[in-house]
Amino acid sequence: MKRIQYCAVSAILLSAATVHGASYHTVESAQKACFPEGAEFIPVPLTLTKEQMKAIEKDSGVRVRLSEQKVWRATRNGKPAGWFIVDEVLGKHEFITYALALDAAGGVKSVEVMNYRETYGYEIRNTDWRAQFLGKKHGARLKLDEDIQNVSGATLSCRHITDGVKRLLSLHELVLKK
Amino acid sequence: MKSSLSFIRKTASRGVPLPGGHRPAGDAHRPEPGCVRTWRAVAPPSVAAWILALAALVGATTRSALADEQLFGFVRGAETLPKGRSEIYQYATLRTGKAEGRYYGFDFETEVEHGFTDRFQASASLIHHYFNNRGVDGDRDALDDANASRLGGVAFSGKYRIWSPFKEPLGIAFRLESGYLWHDEVDGLLQHEFYLSPEIDLQKNFRDDTVICNLNVGAEWAWGKQPAEQYPREVSLQAAAGVAYRFAPNWFVGAEGNVRAEYPLFDLKHFEHATLYAGPSVHYSAKRWWVTLTWTPQVWGSGVDEPNDGRTFAEEVRHKIRLKIGFNF
Repeated sequence: MKRIQYCAVSAILLSAATVHGASYHTVESAQKACFPEGAEFIPVPLTLTKEQMKAIEKDSGVRVRLSEQKVWRATRNGKPAGWFIVDEVLGKHEFITYALALDAAGGVKSVEVMNYRETYGYEIRNTDWRAQFLGKKHGARLKLDEDIQNVSGATLSCRHITDGVKRLLSLHELVLKK
Repeated sequence: MKSSLSFIRKTASRGVPLPGGHRPAGDAHRPEPGCVRTWRAVAPPSVAAWILALAALVGATTRSALADEQLFGFVRGAETLPKGRSEIYQYATLRTGKAEGRYYGFDFETEVEHGFTDRFQASASLIHHYFNNRGVDGDRDALDDANASRLGGVAFSGKYRIWSPFKEPLGIAFRLESGYLWHDEVDGLLQHEFYLSPEIDLQKNFRDDTVICNLNVGAEWAWGKQPAEQYPREVSLQAAAGVAYRFAPNWFVGAEGNVRAEYPLFDLKHFEHATLYAGPSVHYSAKRWWVTLTWTPQVWGSGVDEPNDGRTFAEEVRHKIRLKIGFNF
C-alpha cells in the first residue's frame, strides 16, 4: 500500500512539474509581426551544398548544423521587400525556433521568437533585447557583451540567438543575394 | 551530501587492530587507547604537507551536494542558478559490494538551492542513510550486520561563478560546502563530524554547447569523526571529471570519474586509502525537471594494510549507483 501511495505521489509531482514549451508565433503570425506594413511571401526552397555550408561557417565563425533552410522572399507591390527566414538554434535542452526578417538592403528588420521551451532564458523575448539586432548587416561583429548585451540568466539563449543571426546574415550575403 | 568521493571509514571486526585504522565493531562508542593504526609512515606534519593542503583549499572538492542542473552523478558544472530562481533536488545513492558478505548502503539527500544573484547560489540539504548488510566480516571491511536507517546530517553550500561557460572561454566557479554529520555513511555509526570542503569547478563547452566537459578539484577537512572512526580528523584530496554529449534534444549521455585520497590527522604523509570510481551517466531534462542516473564501479583502489589487488573495501564499495531528480521553480 505504501508503495502504491509513493508511486501516486511521485506521478502527481512529475505531472505537475512537467510544463510544455510555449509557442508564441506561427509562421504566418511571425511574418505579420516582421512585416506589419504587409507583404507577400514567396517560399524559396533552399538546400545548402557542402561548399556553401563551409563558406558560411568560415564567414560567420558559426557552425552550420543543417543544410535545409526555411526561407521566404518578401515582396510588396511586386518589388523586393526583404527576406523572412525561420531558423532553429540549440537551447540548453531543446531547440529555440525564431524568425529573422531582413529588409531589402540586407539589414535586420526584426527578430521574433516563435517557440521557446527552456526552463530559463525566456528574457530573450524582451523587445529591448531583440531591438539590439535592428539594422545589423553582414559584417557586424554580433558578439555578446560587445555590440549585443547579454541578459543574465539567459546567457546560453542570448549567445545562440546572436550566433544564429550572424550565421543567417552570412547566408544572405553568400547565398540569397546571388 | 558528504559522499561523492568520500566514504569515511568504519568499523572493523572483533577486537583486533584493523587495517585502515578500523575500530572493533563492539567498541564503536568507546575510546581505543591501545589501538595501533598501521600507517605507512609516521611523522609530524611537514610544512610541505600544509602547503599542499592550503593549495588544495584554494581548489576544491567533489562531494555530492548539488548546484544547478547536473549532467553527472558526481561531477558539478560551473553554472549557477539565475537570480531569484530555485531548485529542489532529491538524490538517492546506492553503495553496494564489499570484499565479502552483502552490503547495501543507501544515501538520501534532499536539497534546496536558490540563486541570490546571477553569480551566487546557496543551498541547504538534509541527509539520511539506510543500511542493510550481513556477513561483511572480512579482515578488510568488517561491519556489524545491520538493517537500519540513520539521520546523516545537514549540509550547506555556496557557489560563486567567476566566468560563464556560455560566454567566456572557460567556465569557472568556486564552491564551499560545510556540514554537520551525526552518523557516518559506511554503516551509520555515531559521530559528530563537522567538515569544510572548498572546490573549484571548471567547465568547457564544445560544438554549440552540446559537448560539456567538467573538472572539479578540491579538498575536504573533517573534524569530530570519532567515535565512528579511530582518528578525530582527516583531510581528503579529491577531483572529478566528466564529459557529456547531447545526443538528442533533452538527452545527454556521458562518462565520469572521480578520485579521492584520505589522510588522517591532516597529515599528507599518512596515507589511509584512495579510490578511483568511473562509469557512464545519462541525463534527461524537461522544462521544469530533470533526472540523472549514474553508475560508477570502483575501477581502482588502494588501502593501508589491505591486499594489493587494486581495490579497497574498508570504507569503499564495488559500485555506486546514483539517481538524481531536480525540480525548477
